[in-house]
Amino acid sequence: MTNALQPSEFEVQDIMINMGPQHPATHGVFRMVLQVDGEIVKDLIPHIGYMHRGAEKLSETMDFRQGIGFMDRTEYLAQFNAELGYVMAVEKLMDIEVPERAQWIRMILCELNRLSSHFMFTGAFGTDAGVFGTSFTYAFRWREEILDLFEEITGDRLMYAYFRPGGLAWEVTDNFEARVRQVLELSKQGIKDIDGLVTNNEIFKARTQGVGVLTKEQAIDWGTTGPVLRASGVQMDIRRDEPYLFYDQVEFDIPIGQNGDVYDRWCLRMEEMRQSVRIVEQCLTKLQPGPIQPERMPRMLRTPPGEVYIRTEAPRGEFGIYMVSKGGNRPHRLKVRSSCFANLQSLRDMSIGQYVADAVLALGSMDIVLCEVDR
Amino acid sequence: MKGILKSMATTLSTFARKPVTREYPETHKELPERDRAFPVLLWDKEAHEPFCTGCHACERACPVECMTVLMKDNPAHKSVGGESGRRKIIDKFWIDYGRCMRCNICVEVCNFDAITMNNTWEGHEKSVYDRADLVQDLPMLLSEHRSGELKPWVNE
Amino acid sequence: MNTLFGLPVALDALIRVLIIVSVMTVVVMGLIYVERKVLARFQQRLGPTRTGPMGLLQSVADALKLVAKEDVRPTNADPWVFELAPFLVFVPTFLGFVVVPFALAWSVRDLDLGLFYILAVSSVNIVGWVMAGWASDNRYAMLGALRAVAQSISYELPLVMAMIAVAMVADSLNISEIVRGQAMVPNIVWQPLPFLMFFICMLAEMNRPPFDIPVGESEVVGGPYVEYSGIRWSMFFLAEYASMFIMALLGAAVFLGGSAWPFGEQLGLPWQILLTVAKAGLIIFVVIWTRASFPRLRIDQLMSFSWKLLLPVSFAQIMVNGLILVYDLPYGMSHTLLAVCSAAGVLFVASAINRSVTSPRPRPLLIPRSEAAR
Ligand code: SF4
Ligand code: SF4
Repeated sequence: MTNALQPSEFEVQDIMINMGPQHPATHGVFRMVLQVDGEIVKDLIPHIGYMHRGAEKLSETMDFRQGIGFMDRTEYLAQFNAELGYVMAVEKLMDIEVPERAQWIRMILCELNRLSSHFMFTGAFGTDAGVFGTSFTYAFRWREEILDLFEEITGDRLMYAYFRPGGLAWEVTDNFEARVRQVLELSKQGIKDIDGLVTNNEIFKARTQGVGVLTKEQAIDWGTTGPVLRASGVQMDIRRDEPYLFYDQVEFDIPIGQNGDVYDRWCLRMEEMRQSVRIVEQCLTKLQPGPIQPERMPRMLRTPPGEVYIRTEAPRGEFGIYMVSKGGNRPHRLKVRSSCFANLQSLRDMSIGQYVADAVLALGSMDIVLCEVDR
Repeated sequence: MKGILKSMATTLSTFARKPVTREYPETHKELPERDRAFPVLLWDKEAHEPFCTGCHACERACPVECMTVLMKDNPAHKSVGGESGRRKIIDKFWIDYGRCMRCNICVEVCNFDAITMNNTWEGHEKSVYDRADLVQDLPMLLSEHRSGELKPWVNE
Repeated sequence: MNTLFGLPVALDALIRVLIIVSVMTVVVMGLIYVERKVLARFQQRLGPTRTGPMGLLQSVADALKLVAKEDVRPTNADPWVFELAPFLVFVPTFLGFVVVPFALAWSVRDLDLGLFYILAVSSVNIVGWVMAGWASDNRYAMLGALRAVAQSISYELPLVMAMIAVAMVADSLNISEIVRGQAMVPNIVWQPLPFLMFFICMLAEMNRPPFDIPVGESEVVGGPYVEYSGIRWSMFFLAEYASMFIMALLGAAVFLGGSAWPFGEQLGLPWQILLTVAKAGLIIFVVIWTRASFPRLRIDQLMSFSWKLLLPVSFAQIMVNGLILVYDLPYGMSHTLLAVCSAAGVLFVASAINRSVTSPRPRPLLIPRSEAAR
């Protein structure tokens, strides 16, 4: 005779919640399976790959000029930074000297791009935290000014395809400097707005302080870079450690967090925005008229055989381009070292033992771009 | 409590500001001169024929292979009694706007300055119900410049 | 009891209820439009503009769309419970309108226990929420429903306590009486703390930000009504806004003097109604304002805020009120004491909120670039 009430029938089970790929908080098409006990996350399984378009493989069939457009689409929030990595890799392979003016303009655009990308972060993260759309519209309102500037220069709002191996595609507009200054002023106002709306709010502090903590060791172990790593207290910024462009000629501060939590990541990005403004202001004073392309540029870009790895500090961390060339006009192999991909690995460590709502914040605080993760 | 009040003060200050969004279909944003829409062909107004010679350079350079170019002997060439200096000229030209990624490469590789990116569109003008309708043929590609709608920057 | 045109009581009640339901549905739809417009302005947007002049018909268009939409029911849903849930949210909410005094002695029924009645019926709808969450057979819905229950229970208590505190001062549970008693000074002056608590609990009861945890868009994607569509969903939606309107009217009547303050009882009927609605509108504006400004709390913070702070403070307020009122002090003195004690309570709550988050923590360092690496 068996007991009808087997102990197993009373077993308490954790439930699995499938967040994404269509979920407002997953920033695109990211999927995480949460094993929750009530509201507490017991385990988290991230699933990526929904946005995989084979950008790396595709680039092998594209010559060096064609590949630039694909870099835009890899990192659709920091397009200039992504393009920069690609063209710098080609330049290094071909051993091209880039004119000074082109370098400064690249630097201005990259920093403005960082600003716009961080604006986007503040908007998206505010929405994750539950500010109903206000942070989003604030962020978009000020990001719009930057995008307008980019559109005036490059002709497009999102897929700029403006950097070329050797320099820039064409000269910037005549009123470039005045416009950049104007945009900087507006951005300062934007930073102030968003800061006032969110940063000191007690509710926001209560939600984010001590949440999604990543210790120094964990952050290094997972290979995180950028604001996530710096928030955990590691002093690493490629702009300082291995200066590219003219980052060694401008003065800026690198914010370093001390708690490694979500709030620190927020504060860090706010501070980085201020520093970006500062960098651009310095760049503007050093901008001289001059050529934007080397004098003798081959019409057909051909590289000697070789391989290079380029590291740049994109808004989300280290954006690396590993390019192998066997000679000819296209890369033999291209690998994008995605900052978000590495940062995303730490999500599980950040979220376990926290509330479901905190997992959402931890994900948001990494500011992932799924296009870059899946490539 | 201070931060909460600060948040509310910030939102109140934006409440007093003018909205920044527009009534879209009625008021458009002024497009910058360099606005980059889709590639169109240019029309040689002196010779009354397209600049394009059908050299296939753009077709080969296009990353997404969305162009199809067919060349022919120019019926108006001097050797056959015409006035044009172009020996070869474009016969048929298709661009699939559905595939074009607006990268500007075709413009850069063209040796005859025969193609350019349109700078008067906002994007919605080309919306269609069928993807096949996005394939533009030669008259369509030329009409934009022939009617003189393009803004200066692209003509240079 | 005086009825309309001397009709029988039952018929009279029916007519009044019909008027209330139909008029209020329209008003609530207007409220949705107002919220969208005001929220848009907070976000520097224009808000709805395309339907009708200045988008005035937006709610009508929304309603038409929702009614025309297919009413989807998930295969695994429990049919009866699923279909009934919206009614269980909708009906109790609208029941609240029965005692709302739009003007003096101008409500459907002037109940002696009106204050209790409105608090009682306004919390019945939680049953509907749980039913919706359970019957949808969706984990988000379930999570949302459980959150809703927890939240509703926790905030019901401070809400009732705050109301009791005011009722003690006003010496009545009849809302019309309470309004009449405020002809000189509105209750908010004597009882700022209960007003603050009422406002916070009202936000929580209505699941408005920062307490929109049950429906949190970025967490449980709409919570209990994630599986609802079409007309059933719109019933939830209407109920939400109706309860906002009721709560705002209640707040206007109980704390802001309703139709009696500052012009006394001699005001004409339309003006009285206008005054009440304007005061309610003020409260609604602040509700929308908070929605535009605040992030969402987390469920455990929400609970501890209620149980650890609001509830003890509300008990303390009642005790203080009792102590002051039990000694028959002269009017001015006792009420000044009440006001002072209550204002001190407000300061206490504010500082407690402050202290809960401002634990000392290291601030981010700024390392200049030129400083040696590592
Ligand atoms: S713009 Fe680029 S994608 Fe479009 S047709 Fe020209 S080369 Fe091809
Ligand atoms: S547009 Fe220019 S590159 Fe393309 S076929 Fe014509 S002439 Fe050649």
